[in-house]
Formats: sequence, structure tokens, C-alpha cells
Amino acid sequence: MLKTSNETSIRRYITLNVLVLIIFSILITKFFQLQVVRHNQYKEKANINSIRAESLHAPRGSILDRNGEIIVDNAPTYVLIALPNVIGNIDSTISIISQLLNCDSTLLSENYKKYYYGYFTPVRLIKDLTFEQISRLEEHKLDLPGIDYKQIQERHYASNMNGSHFLGYVVEVDRINIKNISSSNEYNYGDLIGWSGLEKSYEGYLRDQKGVEYKAVDAYGRIIGEIAGRNRIVPKPGKDLVTTIDSELQRFIEDLMVGKRGCVIVGEPTTGEILSFVNSPNYSPDLFTGATLSDDWNQILNDPDKPLLNRITHGLYPPGSTIKMIALAYILEHKVISPDKQFYCSGKYRFGNRTFKCWNEAGHGYVNLDKALIQSCNVYFFNAIQNIPLNDWAEFCRQFGFGGKTGIDLPSESFGNVPDEKYFNLRYGEKGWTQGLKLNIAIGQGETLVTPIQLLTYINLFFTNGFTKQPHFIESSRVKNVKIENISKNTWDRLNGLLFQIVNDKKGTGQLANPHIDGLKVAGKTGTAENPHGEPHALFIGYAVKDDIKRSFVILLENVGHGGDEAAPIAREILSYIYEDFNMENNNKNVINAE
Amino acid sequence: MLSMRNKTTKVYIIIIPIVFLIIISLMALYSISLHQNMQFYSSSFFKQLIFLIFGIIALIVMFNIPIKLYHKYSIIIYILATIAIIVPSFISSSISANRWIHIGSIGVQPSEYAKWISIIFLARYLSDRNIKMDNMLSFTIPILIILLPAFIVFSQPDLGTAIIMIAPILPILFWVKARPYHLFILIAPIFSILTAFHNISFTLWGIVLVVIILLSKPKIWEGVTVFFGNIFLGLFAPVIWNILHPYQQKRILTLFNPELDPLGAAYQIIQSQTAIGSGGLFGKGWMLGTQTQLKFLPVQETDFILSVIGEEFGFIAILAIFLLYAFIIYKIIQFAYIVKDRFTSIILIGIASILLAQVFVNSAMTVGLIPVKGLPLPFISYGGSFLVSSFMMIGIVLNFASHWSD
Repeated sequence: MLKTSNETSIRRYITLNVLVLIIFSILITKFFQLQVVRHNQYKEKANINSIRAESLHAPRGSILDRNGEIIVDNAPTYVLIALPNVIGNIDSTISIISQLLNCDSTLLSENYKKYYYGYFTPVRLIKDLTFEQISRLEEHKLDLPGIDYKQIQERHYASNMNGSHFLGYVVEVDRINIKNISSSNEYNYGDLIGWSGLEKSYEGYLRDQKGVEYKAVDAYGRIIGEIAGRNRIVPKPGKDLVTTIDSELQRFIEDLMVGKRGCVIVGEPTTGEILSFVNSPNYSPDLFTGATLSDDWNQILNDPDKPLLNRITHGLYPPGSTIKMIALAYILEHKVISPDKQFYCSGKYRFGNRTFKCWNEAGHGYVNLDKALIQSCNVYFFNAIQNIPLNDWAEFCRQFGFGGKTGIDLPSESFGNVPDEKYFNLRYGEKGWTQGLKLNIAIGQGETLVTPIQLLTYINLFFTNGFTKQPHFIESSRVKNVKIENISKNTWDRLNGLLFQIVNDKKGTGQLANPHIDGLKVAGKTGTAENPHGEPHALFIGYAVKDDIKRSFVILLENVGHGGDEAAPIAREILSYIYEDFNMENNNKNVINAE
Repeated sequence: MLSMRNKTTKVYIIIIPIVFLIIISLMALYSISLHQNMQFYSSSFFKQLIFLIFGIIALIVMFNIPIKLYHKYSIIIYILATIAIIVPSFISSSISANRWIHIGSIGVQPSEYAKWISIIFLARYLSDRNIKMDNMLSFTIPILIILLPAFIVFSQPDLGTAIIMIAPILPILFWVKARPYHLFILIAPIFSILTAFHNISFTLWGIVLVVIILLSKPKIWEGVTVFFGNIFLGLFAPVIWNILHPYQQKRILTLFNPELDPLGAAYQIIQSQTAIGSGGLFGKGWMLGTQTQLKFLPVQETDFILSVIGEEFGFIAILAIFLLYAFIIYKIIQFAYIVKDRFTSIILIGIASILLAQVFVNSAMTVGLIPVKGLPLPFISYGGSFLVSSFMMIGIVLNFASHWSD
């Protein structure tokens, strides 16, 4: 005991307990009155007076081409929604709807499961309701409590071009895909989210800022008024995205590539802008909007030509002869052999007990560095590569952007493969490989694998003497420079001269690329990539310049034959289209000026 | 019954109802977290689990502090607590955030702790000397001890917490043998003012006043003073009221009757009543309350969590909750009766009063019995400071009760 003892009387103790008893009796009585006596009255009130928080959406930003032409915008569509807390028996409701709207009941119940989030959240049943279906719904509204329709915005592809591989698509957030969204708390079921391509890369830019509206609704989901004191939050539309794409050119090349397998990229070599980005075969960007039938899906998924593959960023190809400039740049910079040194090409080359072939089986005769590139003589490179250490060669390749990301503003891209000693040691064991592997590497066959977008940066570096920018669709500060500093201007000049001769020399392998337009300079390199799937892939990379209009391009056609024969003519058609178009515009201007 | 003081009683049994209350709380918070639309780790359900760990630690700490130390340091802690509840008013510019002290990212609400800290100091004052509570002058210091922190909290303005801080004064004075008549005189002026604006009520109050004064047979001049003092106060109240500016009147009115704020409390009370009433006898089912899930109910995880429970689990759950609280409070009063020392006895009565007041004010508010708003429900409402403070009180109860014979 501290100081004084507890002397409280039993009467006061009992009094306090009685007080506690009274207080709890009051509370229990009041709750009993509310919950039991007047229960029906409040139940009615809760049913009638329900609030519904509805998300308000503003349009997602549009995607425009470089001239301001709309490529992707939004169009309204009507969707059928179901409110689980109001619907009695979902199965019978679905069978009524499927009869009423003449649609598949299994699809309805599948969607109901797929988009079911919670007892109080509207579930999306089907999209693209027709006016007739809406009218029928209106007629039977009272028979279908908890069934409603509403207007939403859907992606609409306004231009004739496809471009689905870089535009990407949006999906509705549902209970399955929300697990893959990192910022999932910002999304509700049914919201649109960019799922691939530019739609994904620039999601934060294109996306609208959601608003919210509170509505009082009755037990049938009918809106009976606004809720006082709950402010409506106005949604804000997403921002428009202006791309570097030239939709006219894109469309032209898409048409040109119909029936072919491969890809074409056209870019601006100094700025890294991408004007055309064509994969073939393609698929319609509408594939992911509206109700995609599973048959259509399976057809696309099982197509041996892989239309869903983005060949430009994810297709891995041997670069073929297009890579030959790297060995020459090394020779010119490091003087491991004299540029004038000649090797004799008989059409084949023996190394150890293996025979390597030149593409020209008749042989090129004596070949120096210049002739080796212009005529793309393999034997010269078989000889030359033996003077270059493998790791040095690999390092040079990486400088040109191979074996790494190009930084293109799409959600993902492949790295490709640049083999070096470490790679071969891992693959074949330390002693398991010979210099013979290097011979294939020198001519771009074998284990070197590149993506077409890497080839674009590669050719851009030649045009700019080693100072270009990352390939991109959207101009922004995120676009970084791509620089090569340890190659001298002389080397660049000499190699660019050779690239010019490849297209312009009588014996150049790329002559078919030249559209012969006055004042137009075209340079490029052919490539023929051997592969186990049949005929070699035809490659042509290059650039063209006239006045201030500079364009670089990468053309790849799968399993068609030689680059000079198959890919170069495509380049000619594209260049004719680009530069004759400009000529016409200029002529028109001149006419107007003359008047 | 008298022999009870010499018998030991099961002390730890009060943990059982608390565990049940916590389980009900977590079920309700989990249901609420469904529509909070945020990551699990930032939901109030998960955070409350973390707070629970702190609460249990705090309970163990309070349980192990020797009673002598409570006695010895009661003054210093009281002064520090009083300063702590003033501090937020100075360092915070926004009115609503006036009750919090932020230490890093953790916010602490000092007034939650000041509730029982001032009780400890009051208990020391009343137990150090054997004060005879035979006249009303002896109430002065006890009332001042309680009113000082309560007034600061009231001015912040947090009427709810201020009421909880004042609530123990009458039970404690009653416990230390103050005359019921004196306690009546203490609260009579409040009734005089409140009834003054309504003729019939004021007349009835006057009759009650006369009857009680006559029954307790005071000296004539004393009885006359009390009666006319109260009557004059009642008559003057409307006069003073009319002198006030309309905006001042409105401010006072909304403080005591938030329903006058049309977009705020009236709406909330109606929604709360609808939630509770529509729950019925057995409730709508866990996670199935329309009022709750459609966010119709305001401040669900704190002030109106009882409405969530009433809606989803029904009257059965509400009845169980009240029985659990009644049992806890009954046991604490029982401990207060059997402990041999006056200091600890007073503190126990104080804690029982705080818990009772909190349960009453919060539940009465959710059904619209009384207008005050902004009070949480012990062991059930979400909130770190509040939960930890409640656990500390239980730690003190267990500590004192298990040393009942000291």
C-alpha cells in the first residue's frame, strides 16, 4: 500500500455497476429498436438509396503521324454490363439476354467470370452492342434488373496503314492481367491500358486521368439522382502522341510487302527518326478490339509465317555481308594489313580440312580492300579476319550497336548475339573451337545474330560518320546520342565511298537499288544470310540523300535468295516513291511560284 | 460481498473479451479494405495488424512497471503530457491536423495518452492525504487537474476527446466518498443552461431541482443559493446567447450538434442508421454490406466501424460486443473495489470510466442518440495511437489488479 487504503463502500461499488448496467441497457435497446423493430424500414431505405460511384473516362490520347494525320483515335461503342448485387440468378439472366440479343450464352458466362471483380462492381458482358440490341434491352429493362448498357470509348484505327507492330494495342484490365500490371492500384477492372508497342511505352502520356461521379441508384440500378456533397471529379483526356511515322510511306511499303515475309525500316539517319516500320506478314490492329473470335486468334497464333512476331525488334538474323564493313573499319584503323594488299579469290578457300565458298563460285581473282566490299568477296574476308583478334572484332561490333539494345522506344527488343572468345569457350569448351569459326563470323554467317533495328543504327552511323541518335518514334529528351569516337574521318569517308560504289559501280552488288534520279545519291550494302530454313534471307541496308532529304533503310526478305537480287529492288521502289514524290511536290511549288 | 476484498479474483480473464473484440475489429477492417482499392500493405487492415504488435508490447511494458513508479512520476508525466498536447497547436498550421505530433513518418496523438495520464496524477492527489470530501471546495483541485488538459484538447478543437477526458471526474469523486448531492450541484448548471431554451423542459428541470434540494436537506441559505443560482443562470443564458454574433452562435451549435452542418454529419448519421438498421438481426453477411461496400458509410474504419459491424453481422454481433465491453468494465470496477490501495483503486475507476464513456459516446453517435462526432471505439476502431493507448490502459489494469493485496 502506498499512502492510504481503499475504503470505498459496497454501496458505491454496486451503484457504479448499476450505472454501467443502465448505460448498456440504453445502448442495447436503441440498437434493438433500429435493427430488429425497425429493420424493414431501414432495409427498404438501404435498397432504395444506394450510391454508385461511377468512373468517368476522358478519351485516351490519339496517335498522329509526322504530318499530323491521325493514325489512332477513339470511337464510342456500347457495352452490356451486369451488376452482381442486383441480379438474382445469373444463369437464368444470361439465358434471357442471349435469347434477347441473339448472342452466345457461353461467351456471356465466360465474360461474366472473367470480369467479375466484386459483388458490387459492374461486370462487362459483351461489347459492340448494335442499336437494335440496345432498343431491345430498353424494352425489357424492367425484366432484367441489374442489366444495363453504357457507352465506352474504344481504340479506332483511323488510317489505312496497319502499323500494329509499333502502335501496339490496349486491353481492358481484368482479374487475370491485373497481376502483371506494376502500378495496379491505379487501374480498375474495365479500364484501358496500353499492352504493347507505343501504347505501352507511352501509357502515362496517352492515358486519361480518371474522374468519378456519385449517383444514387435504386434497387434496379436506375439512377435516381446525384448525391449532394459528393463532388464530381472531372476526367482529363490523355495527351496526343505525335510520332515520326510517315503514314503515307508506311502504307506504301505495307502494300509493297504484301505476300512477302520480312521487314522494312525507313529512317532519318542523322536524327534517328523512324518513318516506316513494316513487318510482313502483318495483322490488323483491330484484332485486339471488339470481340476477337477464338478461331481467328488460333489462326493467327498458328500461322507458320508468324504475323505476331515483331521481326524488326525481335527477329534474330545472321547479318550476312552487311557486317563486312566492320572488319574493314578495323583494318583501316589498326593497319593490321595494308588496304592495298591483295588476296586471290578462286571462288573457294581452304582452311584446315574445310572448304569455305565465295558467293561467286567463278571467283573474283585478285581482290584488294575496295574491291572486296564492292563485290562482296568472301575470300578476302576469310583471309583478313585471321589478322583480327576475335575479342577486338567483337568489341568493334558492340560499338556499332550489335549485341545490345538500340534504345528504341518500344517496350522490348532483342539483344542479338555477338560471339567472342568467352562465348565460344562457354559454348564449345576452352579447346573445343578453332579459328575456322571466325571465318564464318567475318562474312556475317554463323553465330552472329542481329535484329533489323540494330542494322538501322549501324547504317545510320556510317551516314553520320559515327554520330547519330537512338532510333525512335517520339521526339524527346530521352533519345540519346549514339557515338563512335575511335574511327577516323578518313576511314568513314573511304567506307562510305565504297558503299556508294556498291550501288553505283558496274560490278557493285547493290546496283538494283538505284532508282537513277537526278541529284539522288544512294549508298548501301547487300547481304545474303544463310539459314537452315531454306533459301537465304535477302538483306539490303543503305541510305540516300538528295538536297536536305536524308533517308536510311533496312530491307530484309526471308528465304528468297540474294540480297542484291531480291532486297535491293525493293529499296529502289521505296526510294523512287520517296524522292519522286518530293520532286513532284517541288515541281508543284515551282508552278505555283511561277504563276 | 464484503469478504470479496480478501479473496483473489481471476485477473487475466479480461484478456479474453479483448481478444474477441480484436477479432471482430480485424474482420470489419478486412471487409472495408476490399473497396479501399489499394495495395494490401497500405490497407488499414494490414496497418492495424502492425499497430497490434506495438499495442501488445506497450501492454507488456505497462504491466511490468512497478506501481511505486506510477506514483512517483505521476506529476512529471502529467506536466509532460500537458505540454505534448499543446505542442501540435504550435507546430501545425492546419486546424484539422492539430492533434498530431509527427516523429519522422509516425504520427502520435498525445491527447490519447493524456486521458489516463491525468487520471494517474489525480489519483495521487486524492490518495496521498486522506482528504475528506465533505464540502464542495475540496472538489476544486481535482477538477482543475482534469480540466487543464481537457480544455486544451477542447480548444484544438476536439470536443469528443475532451468529453472522454472529463468523464472520469464524477465517478472518481463518487468513489472517494463525495456526497451525491454535491456531485449533483456540480452538474446542475449544465442542465440549467441546456434546458433554458425550451420552456417546458426548463419548468420540469426547476421542479427536479427543488425536489432534489429538499430531499438532501441542506442548510436553508445553501439550498436557496443553489436553486436561484441555477434559475438565474438559465434565465440569463438566452440573453447572453442573443448577444453573440450569429457566426459565433453557429459555431457553437455545430460543435454540439454537427447535424446542423448539412453536408457533413446529418448525412453521416442517416447513412450510419441505415447501415445498422438494414443489417437486421443477423446482418447481410461478411463483406456484403451495401452501405459499407458502396462507400455510403463515412469514416468506416474509425468513427463508424460499429455501423459496418451492425450492417454485416447484425444485432447479434452488436449485442455480443456490448456484453464483452460490459464484462470488461464490470471486471475493472470489481478490481477497483478489491484492491487494498486507494491510489490504484482510483486509477482503475478512472480507466473503467474512460472505456465506458468511449463505448457509450461512440455507439450512441452511430445511432444518432447524441450528436458528438469524431470518437473511435476501443479495441475495434482503426488507429495506432488509440489502439496502443487502449492496450496501455489494459496493461495498467492487469498490473494493478494482479498486485491487489499490496
